[in-house]
Amino acid sequence: MNDTVVVRGLTKTFYDEGRGEVHAVQGIDFECRAGEVFGLLGANGAGKTTTLRMLSTVLAPTAGTATILGRDVATDAIGVRSRMGFYSASTALYPRLTARETIEFFARINQYPADKVRERVEFLIERFGIAKYADARVDKLSSGMKQKVSIARTVAHDPPVLIFDEPSVGLDVLNALEMHEVVREFRQQGKTIIFSTHIMSEAEKLCDRIAIIHGGRILACDTLDRLREATATRYLEDIFVHYVRGRG
Amino acid sequence: MFNWKDVRVLYVRELRSALRERNIVVNSILLPIFLYPLLLWLVYTGISFVGGQTEGFASRVMLVGMPAEHRLLEQELEATENLQIRSAADPAADIREGTLDALVEFLPPKAGPPPLAGDFSTKITFDDSKDRSRMAKERVADRIRRYRDHVLGERAAELGIAPEALQEFWVTSKNVATGRQMGQFILGLMLPMFLIIMLSVGCMFPAIDATAGEREKSTWETLMTTATARGNIVLAKYLYVATMSSVAGLLNITAMVLSMKAVLAPLTGRSMTDMTFRIPLTALPLIGLVTVLLALFIAGGMMILASFARTFKEGQSMVSPFYIATFLPVMFLQIPGIEFTPVLALIPIVNVVMVFREAVAGVYHWPLIAITIAVEAACVALALRLATAILRYEDFMLGTYGGNFGRFMKQRVFRR
Repeated sequence: MNDTVVVRGLTKTFYDEGRGEVHAVQGIDFECRAGEVFGLLGANGAGKTTTLRMLSTVLAPTAGTATILGRDVATDAIGVRSRMGFYSASTALYPRLTARETIEFFARINQYPADKVRERVEFLIERFGIAKYADARVDKLSSGMKQKVSIARTVAHDPPVLIFDEPSVGLDVLNALEMHEVVREFRQQGKTIIFSTHIMSEAEKLCDRIAIIHGGRILACDTLDRLREATATRYLEDIFVHYVRGRG
Repeated sequence: MFNWKDVRVLYVRELRSALRERNIVVNSILLPIFLYPLLLWLVYTGISFVGGQTEGFASRVMLVGMPAEHRLLEQELEATENLQIRSAADPAADIREGTLDALVEFLPPKAGPPPLAGDFSTKITFDDSKDRSRMAKERVADRIRRYRDHVLGERAAELGIAPEALQEFWVTSKNVATGRQMGQFILGLMLPMFLIIMLSVGCMFPAIDATAGEREKSTWETLMTTATARGNIVLAKYLYVATMSSVAGLLNITAMVLSMKAVLAPLTGRSMTDMTFRIPLTALPLIGLVTVLLALFIAGGMMILASFARTFKEGQSMVSPFYIATFLPVMFLQIPGIEFTPVLALIPIVNVVMVFREAVAGVYHWPLIAITIAVEAACVALALRLATAILRYEDFMLGTYGGNFGRFMKQRVFRR
């Protein structure tokens, strides 16, 4: 078994003053493997972000378990976070740090060996082509440059598991394509990637397996080919509609 | 409990960001150095300017009923450079209108033993609401007083006695305080006041920037997914805010001590060489310690309040009441003869102000100082514990909680 991420019966219930009890995630199960891009496909409010926040230990599960490389998100949060990189639209960069300082800070605070931090920072600067503006403050960078720095800080400590929560939101076509390239590269390096999106074409292109999530439940989870077989449809959009409407 | 390596990394990050933010540099570094010395200098210059302008005016006075025996006084008044002798049909109305500054009436003495020839009493009519009129009254009264002393001296000489013997009693005063003591008194009165203001000003922007600012810039969640304990994050932020506050306070004390002699001495009516604005060297460690303790206390309060805000503006409005509340203890300083007691040593901020005030004068009540340090340290520990406990609430951590600190405590702590 090379499952790096194992989720069992994961549940999250909020109390909201206006809506009362909100069952954001209702007992989901899935597992991800090394060298795999696992897609969480769902509409807005389906429970994707809540699930990923539980995996990244920002939120504590109400019930169920989730482990990353054997570390439980509920009992070993720091162990989980040191083995995981989390990227989302809501994880911005510090505007007053330079690109170099940003990568160095995240490498150090995420427990990358202190004697190798400098080397790692230079490697990432080179890899993401940010040498020209490595010493410029982040708030002076274009959105494309910021995206590169943001990915570099996500992998600053070389984590084996990466979580990308709707990473293409707000990106133009070229930057989105570059993001896809990076994700593929990480997959080739053997990292486990959990990729949430509501963009069907993105999931189709990138994900090895796709979990369709709706109303806090996973309605289907398989490879794209098997989902096609099971629903007798070709396009992911139709597959998605099949499951979501079928449930309704 | 804390991972100090992580705390250091986080702390350096906070500090590095802060020193590149103009508002923080201005409020925590430049303002403490320049604001109060500059303000005091402006006030002094303003007072000097107004005083100089008033001095430059000639006072228009009208003399009525000058006794013939005292023609010399009349001549002296006429010869005085900044006095103009005028006449008027309705002097009271002219004084009200500002065309005359004072009316000086020489009246016969009131009932009593038979007077000497030419004895008189003086009535000066003036308008206290007008600077020129008040100045005219002072100038005339001063000339007449000096003339009287001269006449009394002459009469005493004729009688072969000392001038003092002509008066039933005599009032003299002598200030036994040395220039150094006067300087320490003024420092003890003013420095704690400016210190509290500066600690709060120096704390406010960093406290909001480190909490609400992170939410506003969407870096909060980035930080929460780093592989370090939340306690380390809270501690690093807290130390950073307290550092900025302490720096502001200590810079302000230094700037005030260095500039106070030149700025304040003239205002006290003493010459600059008379006054010594020096803090005893032995007091410096204690002053440094209580300044840092006070900075830690204020930083704790401000950070907790600001952490409920989702934007910088919200943070400012949440912190403002605490900011104002920190100034209230300054009122204690205005109570005449206030003594440092065990009860005062138990009140945060007030206790530090009192320790500071006494230390400046070279007075050390060690038991009270120990109580002060213990109380402030307890407050600091409480603030840290509270901040870490609040961070466990997910809606607070994600910035989705919509209330302030008071509402949070009511809903989550007291209701329970």
